[in-house]
Amino acid sequence: MDTGPPVIELRRITKRFPGVVANDRVDLAVHAGEIHALVGENGAGKSTLMKILYGLYLPDEGEVVVRGRPVRLESPRQALRLGIGMVHQHFMLIPRFTVTENVILGAEPVRRGDRLALREAEAAVAAIARRYGFAIDPRALVADLSVGEQQRVEIIKVLYRGAEVLILDEPTAVLAPQEVEDLFENLRRLRAQGKTIIFISHRLEEVLAIADRVTVLRRGAVVGTVRAAETTRAQLAEMMVGRPVLLAVERRETAPGPVRLHAEGLWALDGRGLPRVRDVTFEVRAGEIYALAGVEGNGQSELVEALVGLRPIARGRLRIDGRDVTHAGPRAIRLLGVAHIPEDRHRRGLVLPMEVRENLVLGHHTRPEFTRGPLLRQAAVDRFAADRVRAYDVRVPSLATPALALSGGNQQKVVVAREFAFDPQVLVAAQPTRGLDIGATEFVQQQLMEAKARGMAVLLVSVSLDEVFSLADRIGVLFHGEVVGEFRRGEVTPQELGLYMTGAKRQVPA
Amino acid sequence: MSLPARLLLLQVLAPLVAILFGAVVASGILLAIDRDPLAVYGQMLRFTLTRADSLASIFFKATPLILAGLAAALAFRASLWNIGVEGQYYVGAILAAYVGFAVRGLPGVVHLPLAVLAGAAGGAAWAFLPIALRLRRGAHEVITTIMMNYIAAALVLYLLEPGLLRDPAQAGTPRVRTPEVLPGARLPSLRPLLDLVGLQIPGYSSLNGMLVVGLLLCVLFALVLRRTTFGFEVRAVAANPQAAEAAGIPLGRVLFTMFLLSGAVAGLVGLSDTLGFFGYFDIDFPKGYGFLGISVALLARNHPVGVIPAALLLAFLDRGAQGVQVFAGVPREVITIMQGVIILAIVVAYELLTRYLRALRKREAARAEPARPPLPAPGEGRRAGEAAGGGTP
Repeated sequence: MDTGPPVIELRRITKRFPGVVANDRVDLAVHAGEIHALVGENGAGKSTLMKILYGLYLPDEGEVVVRGRPVRLESPRQALRLGIGMVHQHFMLIPRFTVTENVILGAEPVRRGDRLALREAEAAVAAIARRYGFAIDPRALVADLSVGEQQRVEIIKVLYRGAEVLILDEPTAVLAPQEVEDLFENLRRLRAQGKTIIFISHRLEEVLAIADRVTVLRRGAVVGTVRAAETTRAQLAEMMVGRPVLLAVERRETAPGPVRLHAEGLWALDGRGLPRVRDVTFEVRAGEIYALAGVEGNGQSELVEALVGLRPIARGRLRIDGRDVTHAGPRAIRLLGVAHIPEDRHRRGLVLPMEVRENLVLGHHTRPEFTRGPLLRQAAVDRFAADRVRAYDVRVPSLATPALALSGGNQQKVVVAREFAFDPQVLVAAQPTRGLDIGATEFVQQQLMEAKARGMAVLLVSVSLDEVFSLADRIGVLFHGEVVGEFRRGEVTPQELGLYMTGAKRQVPA
Repeated sequence: MSLPARLLLLQVLAPLVAILFGAVVASGILLAIDRDPLAVYGQMLRFTLTRADSLASIFFKATPLILAGLAAALAFRASLWNIGVEGQYYVGAILAAYVGFAVRGLPGVVHLPLAVLAGAAGGAAWAFLPIALRLRRGAHEVITTIMMNYIAAALVLYLLEPGLLRDPAQAGTPRVRTPEVLPGARLPSLRPLLDLVGLQIPGYSSLNGMLVVGLLLCVLFALVLRRTTFGFEVRAVAANPQAAEAAGIPLGRVLFTMFLLSGAVAGLVGLSDTLGFFGYFDIDFPKGYGFLGISVALLARNHPVGVIPAALLLAFLDRGAQGVQVFAGVPREVITIMQGVIILAIVVAYELLTRYLRALRKREAARAEPARPPLPAPGEGRRAGEAAGGGTP
């Protein structure tokens, strides 16, 4: 398929931001009718490159060539006129509008007298859906659609505007496994009809499953472009990181010990008083990793907050080491030896403007070794921080560097280094590798495995099935705030787990 | 130049550039009204800096501003918007005056501290309701403190009614005020102290001990914020309350304490006037220190010690305005405009500095990352795990 003429050519694109070169003389040729994947770690320059192609940034050097003609793309509108459309990772839909209303928003067809031609628009949307095999009702309210269906609306939106080249930014990040399959089916249909697709991802299996060719970016520059059929996951990973990478964490088998964390019929409410966690019961033993899988937004955040004392438990009972902590606050729970890697490290995990050493001691700062009367013992804090930074290989210019200056991977290392200090017995890790690049993901997963091997009780809440399957000893599935299934390692396949995650199946409560 | 030295230089330069910018803008106005800016500024500097009475006046004017700036800065440091310093100092001042005249038979060493503490208690009490409402009900303190300002203004008027705190000896005169505080509750003048070190200030100067209290409090709070566990918690709560909460810091307690401290310092703002100058609280008691305090805190970037030069700058400009008005016939509004421009320019300059600093830090961190191999080999990761298992600091 790469024999056709390039429909899009990026030549020697360079884009600098203060202090960084986001794109460094990038060459990229995308041919008509291919699915071209763009992979790279966070900060490799994928998004910047695509924003240039979509008219959101102007390159400092180099040129964009569309169908053989050099163009200057100054706005998304202009890009769309040239047939380039972007499907954003975060949907830009109005839930109370119908599918059709969302699709035409901003490009409304009108009849004479400036009346909205809604019926014609519905027909047009239905025609697009039929042509590309999208199962969707043009009159359905977006609020009633599943995440996968909402994504289809986003794609139809771009097709409706006449896009020939579709840029999909991390499209699978929000999808359950079945939905990913459906998306890929749609993409293949689009390709068959002559559309060109640029697929941004860092999930390598998916890239290999769907793409014709793959271009790898590292530190702003192109490492190479390879045919998907002729490469492997390991090779791509090595190209991305620049060295061989372990793709799976080495498992450590341990005999589970006593129950450390025990949730019994937990209920928790959201800010509006609606139950987001319903009657959740599970236990985590010393020396095991219990994973809670589920599609994002099924009560994971609320459950984690309830477990660490940040959200009141409306009903049920929570015990740590047999002690009732149902109504305990975060400090009390921490003091019982519970560590918490929050799902959003910027919001809950770090105080970004504060120094690395201050972030490392946060939450431990009232321990006697750090205090003398009302004073904080700076020297002790510095010693502790230096020790942590060394042990966890956090790369910082100095201990006084503010956390906001660090890369995502190093920030997460700061959180992990802090939470693993002082020998916690229970770890609640919520999406601990979200947004991390391969290297940092490997590091965090290794740490979780080590923690388990040392006898920690680890609760892993993750939306990544890969992560769940490579780490967990037992797996619970969260759907609409309920645990709808519980399995031992090896008892279930990812495909079957996907059915539980989307609510298609559930175990009958025993 | 080393990085820390360069940063220090920039931090000193930023306000100086802002002051220069304000002076340039004011020059434009002076030229527009046919005055020679250099002559006017020369006169202003001579008047303010070469006369002992001017210097004493600057420090006297700066005393309430230091305290008001500190009060505002303490709240702002905790990301709490205490707009109620104005009302809090009114309540503090009248309460201190009351203790000053009504409590009898105490020696000065007890009476004066008691009156000062009464001022602080009054300010803290006036701050209690807004912070309680904020923590319990989520009512925003900007709204409630502004409301409390109006209530305070009405409350002191009511308290000055005959039969309450109004001085019966002034009956039949148009003077509406409390009785004079007893000599034991008067703040001592700084004149004898300054005489001792050879500084001559005129006999009518009211420069008093409240200045020393203000300076000490600034230094004390700077140390508390920098060096104590509590200060650490305050900084964490201010910068990211959610992360602080997740780390087990009692959010509500930290916010409550800082707000009451802010109110208590605010309660001292009026004491230089009540106990050090007038000797009573009257219906024309100086207004507006609370709002000036917000400007001072802004200029000082909420740093307790930075409040001191910021307050002195405003007091200097105020005294300078008097000078140019009397001796150069220039309307004092020119200086007021200059003051406003300087505040704006400093805020902008600091913001630019902060952004520059952030970019600099990021570049530095980016350089640090590839300096070592991208990842520990698996074996090293294990060692990291063991070190963590040890858990010793």
